[in-house]
Amino acid sequence: MKPTITFDDFQPGQVLGEAVSTFDDSMTQGWQQIFGVPEAGPGTAPAEGASLAVVLMMRAYCSVVTPRPPGNVHARQRFVLHDIPQPGESIHTVVACAGKEIKRERRYVELRTEGHGCDGRPLFTGDMTLVWAR
Amino acid sequence: MNSTQSLATVSLAVEPETIRAYAALTDDFNPIHLDPVFAATTPMGGVIAHGTMSICLLWQMLEHNLGAAAFAAPDLDVRFLKPVRAGEVLTAGGALSVGDPCVYDVWVRGTDGGDRVVGTLRLAPRTHVTATEGGTQ
Repeated sequence: MKPTITFDDFQPGQVLGEAVSTFDDSMTQGWQQIFGVPEAGPGTAPAEGASLAVVLMMRAYCSVVTPRPPGNVHARQRFVLHDIPQPGESIHTVVACAGKEIKRERRYVELRTEGHGCDGRPLFTGDMTLVWAR
Repeated sequence: MNSTQSLATVSLAVEPETIRAYAALTDDFNPIHLDPVFAATTPMGGVIAHGTMSICLLWQMLEHNLGAAAFAAPDLDVRFLKPVRAGEVLTAGGALSVGDPCVYDVWVRGTDGGDRVVGTLRLAPRTHVTATEGGTQ
């Protein structure tokens, strides 16, 4: 069993790993359970697709950066959507440590996530700032 | 806020089951979102919703106002100012920022009207033309 990742373990510039996740029907259904079924016609509605790109980012973070201490808090998020993932597509997301610092006795970790579609096209770039619990 | 053209708001009721569903969707089972006993011991003082749930609501607000054209490389940068609690109704909105025709100041507010999330949304110039003309694509 791997030890819990602590603030001291993060090395800025280090690639932490890659996750592959498939944009399948269960994701769409999970999103629609919360936000409702879009009124748009056939195909993925843009807000739904953009949201599922965010979901894929979070899944990659949770898959790669584990085990995490309980109680981490999301402080800031930049998210650039380059393209919308397509149903059935496998999305590759690389997670890297972009930086870390201690401010006002809080441990801030910055993670960069870069998602690509199955054809290699960029889907999203996420810069996530977390208050790390330990 | 130093802004002019307002965007119509979109809302979401956040119930405990909403938070559980979002945890399952994202595979993020941090107990600060799910375990009231643990969450009470943290600086948050109780269970909070996932921050990115508010981002999804902002995307819905964007589509509602500007349509599909707005999703040509949007660049969203937000800070999570205050926790979102179960039982709140979140409302996402925004307005065109003064001084940069491609940037919107965006926000998500809680039931009390206070900011939970604030930030900026930069759209591609082509989208801006559509937005300032008041139409959608």
